[in-house]
Amino acid sequence: MSKTSFHILRVGLAITFLWIGILIFKQPEAWAGYLQPWAAKLLPVPIEEAMKGTAILDLGIGVLLLFDYLVWLGALVATFHLVIVLAVSGITDITVRDIGILAATIALMTDSLPENFIDRIKSR
Amino acid sequence: MTSLALLFTLASIGISETVYLVRKRITRDIPVCPIGDGCEVVLTSKYSKIFFIPNDILGLSSYVIISLIAAFLVIEVPPMSFWVIVIKILVGIASIVSLFFTYLQWRILRVWCFWCLMSAFTIWLMEIIILLSKSI
Repeated sequence: MSKTSFHILRVGLAITFLWIGILIFKQPEAWAGYLQPWAAKLLPVPIEEAMKGTAILDLGIGVLLLFDYLVWLGALVATFHLVIVLAVSGITDITVRDIGILAATIALMTDSLPENFIDRIKSR
Repeated sequence: MTSLALLFTLASIGISETVYLVRKRITRDIPVCPIGDGCEVVLTSKYSKIFFIPNDILGLSSYVIISLIAAFLVIEVPPMSFWVIVIKILVGIASIVSLFFTYLQWRILRVWCFWCLMSAFTIWLMEIIILLSKSI
């Protein structure tokens, strides 16, 4: 990926995650509605608290990506986060777009992994 | 809501560009100048600091505060009227300062810095959104 494309993708994803975090904080109960009933039953904490935790995670990912600091970690957490989101909410008219965001976070993660980490994987 | 989303998005873009400039200054690296070639001249000129504080740090602080206030207004963190006044004053001051810096590039330094102009347009766009918005 070219440097320019990488940074456009990074900032775009950062704004997406930050804005979603803010919107979840505004109305956690509304976002809880996306959760499948079976997934809601698995939660050890009240659903609103869980949604606030999700908001904090989204904001954290957004900050890492926006400040260009440990981008690989932010993208890695974002990838796992989106896989879980798709698993617990199912693929609906709204969450189908998360597939695109997931692809973008994977692209960002693979492009920003530290070189020593890649070398360690290659040597095994 | 839309105007706050736009303000937040512009502030985030501002954060990303100022973080880039701060990083380049700390590592004593020359920033990439996509359009024009005056970035280095402008960013190392005697006007690149206000009271010993680098302009990139001032810009970054302003963008972070603006994005935080936009977020507070969306989440409806009280006192709402106070946040509205602060964001209006901050963006207003930043617009005037950006006008001054653009004048410096145009008339005094006579070179254009891509990143400085981008930051100025970001701030002016924020000011236009605030002036046109009925919800802020």
